[in-house]
Amino acid sequence: MAANVQNTPGRTDWAEDDEPDLATAIPAPQITRNKDGTETIVTVFINEDGKRVKRTQRIRRTIVKKKENPRVAERRGWAKIGPEAGKPAGPRPDTTTLGENIIFRPQVGFKSGQVQETAPEEDKKAETLKKMQIKCRICSGDHFTTKCPFKDTMAPEGEAAGAPASLDDGAGGDAGGGAVGPGGSYVPPHMRKGGASKEGERMGGKFERDDLATLRVTNVSEFAEESDLREIFERHGRVTRVFLAKDRETGRAKGFAFVSYQERSDAAKACERVDGYGFGHLILKVEFAKKPPA
Amino acid sequence: MRPILLQGHERALTQVKFSKEGDLLFSVSKDHVVCAWYSSNGERFGTYKGHQGALWTVDVDPTTTFLATGGADNTMRLWEVKTGKELKQWEYPTSIRRVEFSEDGRQLLGVTEKRTGQLSNIYVYDIAQDVEAEQTSEPSMHIVVDELPRVTVAGFSFMSHYIITGHENGSVAQWDAKTGELIKEEFPHDDGMAVTDLQWSADRTYFITASKDKTAKLIDSSTLEVLKTYVADTPLNSAAITPEPTNYVILGGGQAAMDVTTTSARQGKFEARFYHKIFEEEIGRVRGHFGPLNYVAVSPDGKCYCSGGEDGYVRFEVEKEKERENRL
Repeated sequence: MAANVQNTPGRTDWAEDDEPDLATAIPAPQITRNKDGTETIVTVFINEDGKRVKRTQRIRRTIVKKKENPRVAERRGWAKIGPEAGKPAGPRPDTTTLGENIIFRPQVGFKSGQVQETAPEEDKKAETLKKMQIKCRICSGDHFTTKCPFKDTMAPEGEAAGAPASLDDGAGGDAGGGAVGPGGSYVPPHMRKGGASKEGERMGGKFERDDLATLRVTNVSEFAEESDLREIFERHGRVTRVFLAKDRETGRAKGFAFVSYQERSDAAKACERVDGYGFGHLILKVEFAKKPPA
Repeated sequence: MRPILLQGHERALTQVKFSKEGDLLFSVSKDHVVCAWYSSNGERFGTYKGHQGALWTVDVDPTTTFLATGGADNTMRLWEVKTGKELKQWEYPTSIRRVEFSEDGRQLLGVTEKRTGQLSNIYVYDIAQDVEAEQTSEPSMHIVVDELPRVTVAGFSFMSHYIITGHENGSVAQWDAKTGELIKEEFPHDDGMAVTDLQWSADRTYFITASKDKTAKLIDSSTLEVLKTYVADTPLNSAAITPEPTNYVILGGGQAAMDVTTTSARQGKFEARFYHKIFEEEIGRVRGHFGPLNYVAVSPDGKCYCSGGEDGYVRFEVEKEKERENRL
């Protein structure tokens, strides 16, 4: 506090000081050294609105030593030339951008087709499906029974007569392939392939996503758009999906949405930060769509 | 890793080069401009303007004082790297396809293109090691390549003993760098498949050639013996060797520019391919370009590499230290 006393040299006579002058009343910044090696700086200043503000900063000074080739260091200090002349240091966004993150792991036995192989396989599958004769059991059209437009209104043709189900089963792809046992009888899913897949097949296929990284957002304004939500949530990590429930007739939001992140850690961060965020004069409520397993 | 994309050019890149310390990167393209970049953050240092035609080639001397460029305006030019001042201009009857400094930076070679009535020529100049000095107009050596087909690439071997040239028909020739005599000629690549690139190992005792015959070969400088062969599935435009301790070879190529519109990005094979230098095995690829890669260059410190594509982008990828430790 000694500094405080010393720092009132502006006054000549206490009698002249009838109005407290803010400028002279500001003490010099106080620097205290803490035991743990940090410094605390207390500054009092007047901000833009003319208010007196006290700011306390705690800082730690570390010395980072870096070795650099003197030639490189010299070149770094060169004044820029040509169209870049006079521009401040650092990359300019018009010429330099960051690309997408690339994971590059060199490995023995790299097969050039690793990424590409999947595509021809899919093509094959589609081709075999094309070749296969598809016949609807309800209307005898060339589509699967499940896709039939008359599915709800008509019963399958001659189902009572016990029409063979194998046609549909075969066309159903790999899931239906094992449904018929050796004796032609039905084998339940858990008994197939020696009951290896105990969990059973999961639905959704490739659309399956990490539910643990999905947030449920409620109290969303009815005029919200998916892009608005995406904008808010993208600040906290890579968003893979935004789903905003909308009323089919009015096209307005129903008031809740789901946001999926690629990383669970990002989702957790976003959950914490966006919960309580004001959006469209409503306060968003954000929680995990599914609680993590204990 | 996140690659840095450099968008300083409006047309296809033709060559990229790192300075000896790897801190600066020079790129030339068909849009007449030479760009210099800081490799640490991708910041553009500046451009060198003056050429009136497409640029084919660039090289920087070991002290990063001089920059040599050559292009389709039939000139080879020497620039001061620091100020961008043009120091010297040499004129020829045809365009310059390749420039390269010798290992010590005291000599500069330029290869002119063979065109109707003109043969390929190799000119060698002594470079005065002073920015203020007047550079000579007379070549210290001049090789007229009349017996061999068109020269596409050339360079100085270790200690400037030899000049090695790559030719349009897939052959590689060795010349005495003092007298200009042809010592030997070999045919490492398929007949009629042009050698598209020639890059040196760190000590210049061996080099790698890339060719349109879809292979790259590691060749000994003194014997011209093929040491290793890397087989790719696309015509190659460029090949680079990573310095020790990494033993990689990076190849770049892709469908020819004229066929690009008829192929998808996946089929175009516009990827940088990594091969193990010794086992000749492909170990990975890096995607990103949407045009063929015209040139790949590796920083002399081995920490990053850079590729210039027909799409006008320069991408360079920083290989993290940690990743490097995990390698084979």
